[in-house]
Amino acid sequence: MLEVIFGNLDLFLFLLLMAVGYSCGTIAEKRHYKSIIRREKELIKLMLVNAEGHFADGAVNNSFLVSGSMVVSNDYFKRLLAILRNFFGGRVKAYETLIDRARREAILRMKEEAKAKGAHMIVNLRLETSTIGRSANKKNSVGSIEALAYGTAVVMNRP
Amino acid sequence: MKFTPKHIDENVNVSKTHPLGELAWLVGGMLLLALVFYLVLGVTADLAVAKIPIKAEVWLGEHFVASFEANEDEALRRRLQRLLDNLPADSPLHQYTFTVQLVKNEEANALALPGGHIVVFSGLVEQAESENELAMVLAHELGHFAHRDHLKRLGRGLGLTVAAILVFGEDSAISRLMSNLFLATESGYSRQQESDADRFGLELLVNSFGHAGGATDFFARVVKKAGRRVPYLLASHPHPEDRIEELQSLIRENGYPVEKSAPLGDDLLSETEPEQEAETAVDQ
Repeated sequence: MLEVIFGNLDLFLFLLLMAVGYSCGTIAEKRHYKSIIRREKELIKLMLVNAEGHFADGAVNNSFLVSGSMVVSNDYFKRLLAILRNFFGGRVKAYETLIDRARREAILRMKEEAKAKGAHMIVNLRLETSTIGRSANKKNSVGSIEALAYGTAVVMNRP
Repeated sequence: MKFTPKHIDENVNVSKTHPLGELAWLVGGMLLLALVFYLVLGVTADLAVAKIPIKAEVWLGEHFVASFEANEDEALRRRLQRLLDNLPADSPLHQYTFTVQLVKNEEANALALPGGHIVVFSGLVEQAESENELAMVLAHELGHFAHRDHLKRLGRGLGLTVAAILVFGEDSAISRLMSNLFLATESGYSRQQESDADRFGLELLVNSFGHAGGATDFFARVVKKAGRRVPYLLASHPHPEDRIEELQSLIRENGYPVEKSAPLGDDLLSETEPEQEAETAVDQ
């Protein structure tokens, strides 16, 4: 038994990484989505638009930049799915959740910052995504992405 | 404009497919493609091999044999030459420049490598008891060359590995897996190819020595030494007993005379150390 394992070490390592990637990735994703949905509901009252803000004179008390970002890592299982997708074409479904989670989490972090500073709304929302580690999807390394959300938090003059 | 906050439960940005389901589809598709490719490659390799000029093969051989130490063995060379001299004048084998090397290895084995290189393991020479027996082995290898079997064998495994490297890259785990898997399974000749090479070898042996003595000696020893082993279900070679039977029926059919075989010449005996206990292998 041991001989078989050591004889095909790279194959076993590959399967192990797949299994770890799948199980840990799935658990992390489920927990993350749960938390995202809960916090989104909590913060839903904080208005968020990507339009420029136009306000009447004297309506705005204060405004400042708020930002939030999240870096999320790929795993071996998702990477395998993506590699196979590279071959067949079509939606790289494995990566959709990564991008979605990163974006929503970044927005949430930005909103949390704005709320903590007493803002009533965020205008001019912008989203950006970048890969971290140029080796993403190359050789034996696993890359990660960052989603950045930033906008202008506005504190209104309210009685 | 009134802002009405509303939480949207549905998420259009994420597909609903289960990742394991997707994996199954993708892997299944890959396997299907690989299977089709494998079948097509097998047919085309066999067809193409007959058309590959011997010059191109010699060039290929130069790249392969670099891994073996290229020291031509004089004693074996003389024996091979005797067989070559007895080939029919129109034999395609005359286009090859054959080299024969003796490699120190306990296995009783000989290989036909592309480009006309024959490698004989010292274990085989140690065990051989007669000139005829050794000649039969060399003639059998010449049979593989005559039928271009050594190229057919490489064709499929090589094609698959090259394809994997092209698709996944030289360093990827999948390429390594493919090369391990397919170069290993394709490393033998088919039973039919072995039988054909045996037939060719027998004819050449009779042409060179005037009789068929010693033709079955090698297999007889294999049977005696390795008879207990039963890994024959998956083996690419015919069972040695079947090969003996086939050779004997060929001898009977063609009415070849069988005489006493000549003992092994001193020039070969001095080159190997007889105290080594050689293991008999069946891949000859």
